[in-house]
Amino acid sequence: MRQIVVVIGLLPGVALAEGPTVPRYAEVTGQAGISHSYTGEWEQMVGGGAASFDCDGNGLPELFLSGGTVPAQLLRNVSAVGGDLRFEPVESGLELELVAGAYPLDVDSDGVMDLVLLRLGENVVMRGLGNCRFERANEAWGFDGGDAWSTAFAATWEDGQSWPTLAVGNYINHREEAFPWGSCTDNWLHRPAGETGFAPPLPLTPSFCALSMLFTDWDLSGVPSLRVSNDREYYKGGQEQMWHVEPGQPPALYSPEEGWQRLRIWGMGIASSDVTGDGYPDYFLTSMADNKLQTLAPQPEGQPKKPAFADVAFARGVTAHRPYTGGEVRPSTAWHAQFEDVNNDTYPDLFVVKGNVWAMPDFAMRDPNNLLLQDAEGKFHEAGDKAGVASFESGRGGVVVDFNLDGLMDIAVVNRNGPAELWQNVTEGGGHWLALRPASGGINPDGIGGWIEVRQGDDVQRRELTVGGGHVSGQAGWWHFGLGGLDEAEVRMVWPDGKEEPWQRLTADSFYILGRGQAPEAWSPGG
Amino acid sequence: MDKTRRFLLGSIPAAMALATLPGRSGAQTAAMPPDEILQDWYRLILELVRHTATYSPPVASRAFAYVGITAYEAAIIGQAGPRSLAGQLPGLTAVPSPVGQAELDPSVILQAALQTSVSHFFWNTGPTGQRAMGAMGRKLAEAAAVGVPADVAQRSSALGTAIAEHVIAWSRDDGGDRIENMGFPLTWEFQSGPEHWVPTSLVSQQQAPLLPRWGWNRAFAMPDGSSCGLPPPPAYSEEPGSDFYNEAYEVYDTVRNLTPEQTLIARFWSDDPMLSPTPPGHWISIALEVMAEDNLPVEQQADVLARLGITLADAFIACWRSKFEFDLLRPVTYINRVIDAKWQPILITPPFPEYPSGHSTQSGAAAEVLTGLLGADRAFGDATHEADGLPVRQFANFWQAANEAGISRLYGGIHFRAAIERGLEQGRCVGAYALALETLA
Repeated sequence: MRQIVVVIGLLPGVALAEGPTVPRYAEVTGQAGISHSYTGEWEQMVGGGAASFDCDGNGLPELFLSGGTVPAQLLRNVSAVGGDLRFEPVESGLELELVAGAYPLDVDSDGVMDLVLLRLGENVVMRGLGNCRFERANEAWGFDGGDAWSTAFAATWEDGQSWPTLAVGNYINHREEAFPWGSCTDNWLHRPAGETGFAPPLPLTPSFCALSMLFTDWDLSGVPSLRVSNDREYYKGGQEQMWHVEPGQPPALYSPEEGWQRLRIWGMGIASSDVTGDGYPDYFLTSMADNKLQTLAPQPEGQPKKPAFADVAFARGVTAHRPYTGGEVRPSTAWHAQFEDVNNDTYPDLFVVKGNVWAMPDFAMRDPNNLLLQDAEGKFHEAGDKAGVASFESGRGGVVVDFNLDGLMDIAVVNRNGPAELWQNVTEGGGHWLALRPASGGINPDGIGGWIEVRQGDDVQRRELTVGGGHVSGQAGWWHFGLGGLDEAEVRMVWPDGKEEPWQRLTADSFYILGRGQAPEAWSPGG
Repeated sequence: MDKTRRFLLGSIPAAMALATLPGRSGAQTAAMPPDEILQDWYRLILELVRHTATYSPPVASRAFAYVGITAYEAAIIGQAGPRSLAGQLPGLTAVPSPVGQAELDPSVILQAALQTSVSHFFWNTGPTGQRAMGAMGRKLAEAAAVGVPADVAQRSSALGTAIAEHVIAWSRDDGGDRIENMGFPLTWEFQSGPEHWVPTSLVSQQQAPLLPRWGWNRAFAMPDGSSCGLPPPPAYSEEPGSDFYNEAYEVYDTVRNLTPEQTLIARFWSDDPMLSPTPPGHWISIALEVMAEDNLPVEQQADVLARLGITLADAFIACWRSKFEFDLLRPVTYINRVIDAKWQPILITPPFPEYPSGHSTQSGAAAEVLTGLLGADRAFGDATHEADGLPVRQFANFWQAANEAGISRLYGGIHFRAAIERGLEQGRCVGAYALALETLA
């Protein structure tokens, strides 16, 4: 059982008397060298993911964009550190068609990032070869890519395993034209087969048209469970799900008897962060006309935690149910969501990608993305238009990441049948920050399933290191923390096996590698 | 090709026409008989209701009424006996009729009428619904026209389309044609006083009540929304022992001590929008099952679907008129305020006032109509939610089902008993108007 760090006070921040500092974003898609679109019709009405990860070893994250009916594209990040964002297309071996989304993951723990491609048809695991080259590894790793409409992914390392466990979420049977409702196909759990790769996948039955999955240690037990967010448009008898994935045991659904509460939404994306500061991860679930922010419900003392969650979206002002600009009154459609501190005031903010499914008249056609800034009281404030990211394209996936390593979180979005968009964060005078990256030097080198904690006085920010969630969009690399007005913070890494590194005082506005059993190592671009 | 299933315009009495139309199992042709076309479109409609976000129960009931009327008018074309609903429903003028002596095909007429009608009344369904409607239309148009000469098919299709368009034109000024923001007003002025409705949902959109003006829509068979008015609910009181307190305590106590059977009943009739065909769709589903089992001729099926659709729509108009007349709070509001702050119902409390129960009113109306048209002792199995994992439930007659639907709302914790009992009575009143319509001879 892990120790729970209870946050007593409010975190320090930049001046908040009049609400959170609104960041400033510049739309730089064209000048940054990006020209890409996720295209297609019915079989591309969902999907359209992005991925970011460093594949040439310089610390700058590259950008991968899925393409639907056109080839996916990898863009090498050639930005100057702290300068304008710049990308160049690179032939990488990732140029597959019918790609819905992608997640970076160092599958074979060789220190070179691999990429899992979710597709309409066969999924493909691409082994990183270095210098942004990739090769198909399904056969070499025993990975059965199947034949489905794959739309969700999550990964974890189960205790004692040298290979990860992969969860793949599948959507409806796309061959059902007249009556697709009720045709949700099985999700899959790809577990390791010894030291060589993967066993044949286990069906996660019942499956209810997953559009997002996340391995998360919701109760801090040390063993992550698999949350699955499902699209009620297509399932019959379905609901949101969470699976026990215990080492050596078959997966098993959390039941009502254990406290699981039925929730049925148009589940499209999961974002996770400790928003409430109670030490436990909270979950933002995207949907249509409404979104949920779930926090662990109050629990009886001295008993095992029950998977019961309270919806605090309304109370915290984060329902994001209707366009806030553009003049439409019809409700919104939300897809990718991600918590990041975009103004470095220490409070996780929330970026939500919006866009009509496809000529769905009951919902807004001009549906702006949300940038919801959290204040010191835990309330969120819409700032998408003021910040400059309120695009009316038909958004799907995205990533919020610091592309030019200036300590400010930039944003890339994939739009369906419209141009992908890139916004550079050009905020001046924001708070301080830290960028941290685990490097265990062994199996699971990125410490997936672990936690990074950043302490300032009595206040602790905790981030669970996960692979999954969002809407078919993943990222790997630096984990970002805003520090507000303070120029240093204490940091420690908690590894997936529970080993806690000692607290270390680190200087703000810097990059550090968190090694196992080692003091954090300062890193600088090109250094 | 089965020549017998076609007819010359205006020349066939109803009895003969019915006799010449093939039944589900007796068709001598490869072409699809009209009753199968009717059933197939309605199966799709039930899915479209579930998957079109604006289709809350009142809105769904309106679509069922207009599609049913269209089906009935298309199904009786060319027959001397049945009486059109034109002239019986307010504002519905004579529907297009055949011109001259020309051969027509009933399957093609009905197919074209339904395709036009469904495409209109579900224009706002999403991409999958649009794709399904297109696929269904292509498949059924092709199946209906097998062996039908091209000129007959063309003429029949044009007539079916014209009938549907006539009904569509009539529908436009009934008050329910345009729904904004899924039926939720953007602003709402709450009545003061502890007895009045307040939002019970954490969904932002549902902080105003659903469709507050629906009760003033043009009614179908009954004169208007006030035709089946109700007495007030028990007087509001927080005093233990008062009628109102006792009603609330009954809900509280029942939900805390639910039997597995009561829980199942609550879930079986829950019929949540966007997760089911909604309460009116549930009754359409029951009717479809019974009629298919009884192998009823298409005219009779269309008559049932028309009058059932009409009474369901009237029921929601009458019920919504009463709901906003009395504007009563929901059990969860009262119980949390007066009895137990932590109590929660097992069903999602709908986002509009409590009295009367909508499911009860429309179930009472449906039972009244189905009893009148299909018999007082027609036992049936209800498989509406089988695909969602709920078992088939058996009923001895339609009123037994309606009574169970009513009490399910108390088990679910979302209605007081008065709203259920008076809702069922309101439904009986509404249903009588639809039964009084003159249709088949």
